[in-house]
Amino acid sequence: METRELFWGLQSAGTVAFYIIGFSAIGVSILGIVHSIKKYMRGRASPVPLDLWRGVRRMVADMLSHRTVRRRDTYAGTAHAAIFFGFVILFIGTSTITLDYDIVGPMFGVSFWKGWFFLGFSLTMDIAGLAVALGLIAMMVRRVGFRLPKLDYRRTYRGETDLRPPAKMWRAEDWIFLGGLLLIVLTGFFQEGLRHALESPPWGHWEPIGRLIGSSMLALGVGPSEISSLRSLNWWLHGLGALMFVAALPWYKAKHMIAALGSLTARDPLALRRLPRVVDDGVTEIGIGNISEFSWKDMLDLDACTKCGRCHEACPARAAGYPLSPRDFILDLREHNNHAQGCKQEKDLFEGGVISPDTLWACRMCGACLEICPVGVEHPVKILQMRRRLIENDELDPLLRNVLNTISTSGNSFGEPARKRSAWTSELEFAVKDVRKEAADLLWFVGDQASFDPRNQHVSRTVARLFRAARVDFGLLHDGERTAGNDVRRVGEEGLFESLVEHNMDQMSRAQPFDRIVTTDPHSYNTLRNEYPEFGAMAPVVHYTEILCELLNSGALKVAQPLGLKVTYHDPCHLGRLNKGYGAPRKLLELIGCELIEMPRSRDNSFCCGAGGGRFWIPDAPGTTKPSELRLQEAAKLGCIDVFVTCCPKDLTMFEDARKTAGLEEEFVVEDIAELVARAIKLDEFDLRDLPDLMDKIATSVAERVMVSVNDRLDAWLQEHGSKIQAIRYEAPDIPVTGTLPETQQITGESVQSSLRPTWTASVVAPIALRDYAAPAKEGIRIIVPIKQTGTLSEDFQFSPDGLSIKPEYFEYILNEWDDTALEQALQFTEQQEGGEVVVVTVGPPEAEGSMRKALGKGAHRGVRIWDDSLADADPITIARVLAGLILEEKPDLVITGAQSADLAQSATGVALARLLDLPSAAFVIKAQWDGASELLVTRELEGGIGHSISVPMPALITMQTGANSPRYATMRMIKQAKTKPIENVEIESLDESSRAAVVRELRVPIATRAEMFEGKADEIAANIIKVIQGKMGAKT
Amino acid sequence: MSGILVVAEHTRGVLADISAELVGAAVSIKKDIGGPLCVIIVGQNAEQFVPQMNLQGVDKIITACVGTEHFDATITEEAVYAAALREQPELIAIGHSSSGMSFAAGLAVRLGSGFAADIFAIGMHDGSIHATRSGYGGKVNIEIGFPNKPMVVMTLRGATFKPPIEDGNAELGEIEVDVSTKSAQCTKHLDYIEAPSAGVDIGKAEFIMSIGRGIQDEKNIPRFEALAEKLGATLGCSRPIADSGWLHKGHQVGLTGKVAANCKLYVALGISGAVQHLHGMKHVETIIAVNTDPNAPIFNHATYGAVVDLFELCESLEKM
Repeated sequence: METRELFWGLQSAGTVAFYIIGFSAIGVSILGIVHSIKKYMRGRASPVPLDLWRGVRRMVADMLSHRTVRRRDTYAGTAHAAIFFGFVILFIGTSTITLDYDIVGPMFGVSFWKGWFFLGFSLTMDIAGLAVALGLIAMMVRRVGFRLPKLDYRRTYRGETDLRPPAKMWRAEDWIFLGGLLLIVLTGFFQEGLRHALESPPWGHWEPIGRLIGSSMLALGVGPSEISSLRSLNWWLHGLGALMFVAALPWYKAKHMIAALGSLTARDPLALRRLPRVVDDGVTEIGIGNISEFSWKDMLDLDACTKCGRCHEACPARAAGYPLSPRDFILDLREHNNHAQGCKQEKDLFEGGVISPDTLWACRMCGACLEICPVGVEHPVKILQMRRRLIENDELDPLLRNVLNTISTSGNSFGEPARKRSAWTSELEFAVKDVRKEAADLLWFVGDQASFDPRNQHVSRTVARLFRAARVDFGLLHDGERTAGNDVRRVGEEGLFESLVEHNMDQMSRAQPFDRIVTTDPHSYNTLRNEYPEFGAMAPVVHYTEILCELLNSGALKVAQPLGLKVTYHDPCHLGRLNKGYGAPRKLLELIGCELIEMPRSRDNSFCCGAGGGRFWIPDAPGTTKPSELRLQEAAKLGCIDVFVTCCPKDLTMFEDARKTAGLEEEFVVEDIAELVARAIKLDEFDLRDLPDLMDKIATSVAERVMVSVNDRLDAWLQEHGSKIQAIRYEAPDIPVTGTLPETQQITGESVQSSLRPTWTASVVAPIALRDYAAPAKEGIRIIVPIKQTGTLSEDFQFSPDGLSIKPEYFEYILNEWDDTALEQALQFTEQQEGGEVVVVTVGPPEAEGSMRKALGKGAHRGVRIWDDSLADADPITIARVLAGLILEEKPDLVITGAQSADLAQSATGVALARLLDLPSAAFVIKAQWDGASELLVTRELEGGIGHSISVPMPALITMQTGANSPRYATMRMIKQAKTKPIENVEIESLDESSRAAVVRELRVPIATRAEMFEGKADEIAANIIKVIQGKMGAKT
Repeated sequence: MSGILVVAEHTRGVLADISAELVGAAVSIKKDIGGPLCVIIVGQNAEQFVPQMNLQGVDKIITACVGTEHFDATITEEAVYAAALREQPELIAIGHSSSGMSFAAGLAVRLGSGFAADIFAIGMHDGSIHATRSGYGGKVNIEIGFPNKPMVVMTLRGATFKPPIEDGNAELGEIEVDVSTKSAQCTKHLDYIEAPSAGVDIGKAEFIMSIGRGIQDEKNIPRFEALAEKLGATLGCSRPIADSGWLHKGHQVGLTGKVAANCKLYVALGISGAVQHLHGMKHVETIIAVNTDPNAPIFNHATYGAVVDLFELCESLEKM
């Protein structure tokens, strides 16, 4: 019966030795696996749930189909499949022999490895071995011959020209892996050939390769004794090679064979679409700054990476020259994790230089790396968690910090008041429902960019008109909507994201019934669809392209004129790759008669415009090519495009900009898909007006005309009778442009003077006493920082009826920037001196507690708020008197105030306060040093940027100029946590209203400036400009 | 019992422009308030500035020779306080400058006077002083009165009031200032630090010339840099210019750049006026916008505008 001898020619001692080596190899392998498992067990629990059964099914499907390995690289995919399946078959084959020889045989005395089974087995093994060999050779050829950038481990974006030491190791292991495997397979075939040469079995054609080698050897005239000795030598070579492979498996690149099974199984199906929530138990630090803070799944990911470089190739940041390659990010973490295992003192990932913050900030959270990774590594989620730590440590771009501050105060990234959120609808011919008051089929969640950016407002209006034309019943949350927070979350400001979710959820839950939520913004779409449901029940969320498709399909909108344009379409990352919304936009383009010419990178391989992950708010470094420009160049290469179509507001902004900066203005236009639909259905020809609204508009327009006509006549009459009027009508002066005062200010009659004047006296004003306030006992140094919640006035404000104040709804309240600088200085002093307390004090109504909480969130120790209604609109000296009443009780070592407030900018409170407290002072400080001794070294800022260095005896008061430091960022979570810090509310004894140092008599809007146009030739215009400059800047020019 | 006291200001041996401008403002209101118009100069060598302050309309110049030529808030306040008690003025005018702001409010506390800062227009209304300042980023003008106050301390905005041109005929006087009781509060002068010349500070610049996409090419940058220098302006830019790396980020004006917080004159060349850019400069008192597009939104915010080819204009300005 056909079979072969296993331990051919081996003495029993040899067999024993082989078994010893064999078991040792398996032991080393198991040791390696245990070592890895122990490594992963250092990690935290996975922050997302694991569906093991589903995960295993998907992993097996991915493995059998080789879907993830074949994508976008058929060559490597095919070669890998040959190696993989060949190897699996060889492994099964070897296991079968073990089963027959070591288990079934000794135990039951039966053998099945013979006869027809043996023949089939032999042929299969030959074919499998051949497949592995060919696959390995193909891979080697690819490494040597193709010069693929993705396989180059030099970090060229960091200016590396040579491989660094670990990268050399990577290259070595790549070759050891390929070479070692090939050696095993070839020695296997050789062994087979030797057997054939020696035995020439009659069934030899069942092992065609062995037979071929054997007959070749015989043909070459190799003698039987040589064959015998070769056979014995090669047997050991093959056997030891195979055992070494087994032993080394979990210790180098081959590890991916096991780790990838885990990473593919544990892959989060919603990775990046739905980010993990923050564990906020008060003990766990937020985010990730140490390797052991990663979860076991993250660590498994690191080990699963095969360095295939597909992520490196797909990454838009890497392509544009930013210091990020997802591959290197993972490999750097892996190296570090391997070193860190067993180390007692773990170094910080940032301070230890493992990952640099600019690498993390380069990420666009577009998911291209995650999408293409064949082994299910989730790079962006790791980046995000590390960003969370950066945010927590206040290590972020100052501009990003500003944006986050803006969003936390105004609810949008534009810093516009909520009232103006739906201002874009005012130009529509019809009123848009307020879902909070009226039920609607669709709730349109507009998003920031579509609400405030002029180019996108135009698109928003087009979409609204399309809906209207199709009689879609839709409404908005109007000023109730805040930014959805997709990008806020991706920046890493989880607390702010949560507060935005809370607000929007609350608004939606209080709204009248609606069936679905629609949005034009894929970023909002993603978070509303995938993340909001974790916080509460949500209606289904659809993208407007789906709705437009529905409307065209149902006939609610009819194409009047197919456009016949050649267009290319850019898949927004958050719609396409992350939510698989590839179909609707393409269907739409087809329905409106556009010929779609796809870019080389489309659908899941779409190339990010560069705006995601908060990068929209962080300016690109000078000299870098923007991803959006690369994308447009890709479109331009198509050569025949009329329109570059987008369906994402951020895309529209990015690509409109890039079209100009990349010099492609002649090539094609960038348009939103809704604009094309509008043209195809001839939206212009629809009458979309509201009848009652129309009546209103007519009435208003008539009224306006009457007003204009009356005003003109009134003006003319006034001019004629002006001199008489002046005597009875007080008109305050306007800003004198030239420095001469307008005549109107000297209108007072000469005779009214002296009788009204109070008698001349001079007596120092005193601090205003507080009701029942006792400061806590002092422990260490005490620094008082008076703060003010200042109002930023919106464009369309109105005065209160008495004309002496502005209605509060027109203000956005924020912590005064100068006071923020003062607070930062105070916090730095206490940090430098490792102790003491910073007390923030404000004179303000209960609403001012918002800013105080922010200050406490940043690290101030306690707060005191003083208020009395009589203090509304008080002058700075009165405010200083109130503050002095408190500060005298506190007996501080130092008082630090802002040099001015952003709203009224008198620069007086601090200096007045110093006098009331009888403290030495220095104003407009741009640098302060204090070592706790009796003297404070400061630099004051003088005009023209000159610094004046002085020393100030302590205790003292200084007023800080902005720019002296960059105030730290308090995350929303820190602010929430600061709720446990005390704020004491104090009232004043009494205020003599007549003691005010100034009162507001009238508020006026300065006369609006409309550009006065200079006409004529360039020379004449230049002369006019010079005249203005000289008039304004005086002799300086 | 009446009159105006003007506080002259000097730094490093140079009289500040604001000093004469304060006199100009005082002269314009002197006939309403009544005389005399006194000027006080505080400093070790105060008399060296007497000729420059002897301007038309000034009735009296008081020198307060104190032990230091460097500004100190406590000493200056003490000197002006002493002069105020002696002269009993109805108005004390101080520059809204780094030095002026360092002691004006403290002085008002000492005197129990009325107080207002950064005033750009003064007048009389029903027999008492009123003043105008602006608030909320220039969106509102605020008229201020000082009821029940026989005296008002004010800081006045610079480059706003015209100084008298003619020389005056003022009487000279001195005042002894005793700072011994306040010596514990005096600061010690250490050094002056020159402004860094290479850096730009959009936030502090008073005159900014900004360039936008209209300059077309990076190679045109040096030309506009030279023009800005010639005009005495700080060079600013819009986002695309900084994004392209043509100019350092520090030059960028706007939402994501710097706010031209102290700018008084802004020349926008080839900037269309995106909201983000307007955010950083629309509050500026005087804006000159130059663009080839007559519908550019920047013209809605500018004081003066011109539709002209940027490079032709640049050439004309270079010739001037």
